[in-house]
Amino acid sequence: MVGRQDRALRASATVPSEDARDVGLMERIARRDPRAFEELYRSYHPRLRRFLFNMLRRPHLSDEVLNDTLLVVWRQPERYNGRSKVSTWIYAIAYRQALKALRRCDDPVDDRAAEARPSGEAGPEQQLGVRQAQDALLRAMGELSPDHRAVIDLTYFHQLGYREIAELMGCPPDTVKTRMFHARRRLKTKLSGELADWL
Amino acid sequence: MTGKIIRLHAREHQETQLLLPWYANGRLEAPDQARVEAHLKGCARCRAELEEELRLKSDVAALPLDVEHDRAAMLERLNEPPPQHGGLSIRPGGRVGPTWLGWGVAAGLGVVLALGFHAPRPAPPTLYHAQSAPAGNRPGDLVVLFRPDTTESQIRAALRASGARLVDGPTAADAYVLSVPLPERDRALAELRASRGVIDAEPIDQATAP
Repeated sequence: MVGRQDRALRASATVPSEDARDVGLMERIARRDPRAFEELYRSYHPRLRRFLFNMLRRPHLSDEVLNDTLLVVWRQPERYNGRSKVSTWIYAIAYRQALKALRRCDDPVDDRAAEARPSGEAGPEQQLGVRQAQDALLRAMGELSPDHRAVIDLTYFHQLGYREIAELMGCPPDTVKTRMFHARRRLKTKLSGELADWL
Repeated sequence: MTGKIIRLHAREHQETQLLLPWYANGRLEAPDQARVEAHLKGCARCRAELEEELRLKSDVAALPLDVEHDRAAMLERLNEPPPQHGGLSIRPGGRVGPTWLGWGVAAGLGVVLALGFHAPRPAPPTLYHAQSAPAGNRPGDLVVLFRPDTTESQIRAALRASGARLVDGPTAADAYVLSVPLPERDRALAELRASRGVIDAEPIDQATAP
């Protein structure tokens, strides 16, 4: 049971060759090759955008942080020292920039997730159910702390290991494990009231 | 003896609970993987948790955490060819709001990308024109260098006080090029030089590239 699901999941995990490609791109970026930056940009823009939007929940702020992050890659490629994966280094920049941005703006986080939800077009009952479940999950995620949201998304969507997450968040691996544990518990508690049959 | 086994099971159970998300995403290293698999064989509760974990993982991964209209707008701006003077593409009449620095960076990235892909193209039409500017507007009238720690609101205040509009930058030296009606140039220069965050402001000679 576990084996089949696990194999399928492993197949979708990040392949090592991706890091080799990224290292090559970083070497070219260090030589000021804009085509290499273009390639790296296209590869990282969508996933960083999701990561930052999920963490910050403010679309304009997450765009700003995303651009700042990629600009650091372009302007300071020498900061990549080859001791970690390129992706870990880039996510770490994004994470730190996001924390800085959160400290800068002290306005309460709106439920900006509402903007990300599918439109209210009439659809089959089943689609409505999916939308309701997604709404509930987005609301529950929105009530978590940015750190908890980050660790959830980095694990479930970006498929990072806990050691990579620890490295990019600058904390011990055990802290990542416990953050994830509490984040999952909180999610389940928040969801249990309205969607008892969903989880 | 039995107590020892129970404590061992409890520890393995707790550790498995902590590791389940990464077992579910296939990113555990071999020793952790073996440990979790061994525990799962004998623990129905953890197997049930794993099922929940897999559902939660796939539901989180499927969340529409994107804002398509923002994405489209950003891509549109990143893909804009550089203006004739290689400047920022602030839209005519557009409000320079709190996120303009971010857009400035986006435009900067756009220029970087455009350098690689659009360099041989003939110069495109200028994207920014001051509303009152005559045709054939000059690329910029002033160049200003802000202190690195100047905040966006200070920069905005300095620009408003001077009456100048941002048309380009940051340049390689992190300076910004401003446009201002010629009769107002000296006053704008004086205002900028008096602003707290400004290191220097200089007029641009029409014949000199910024």
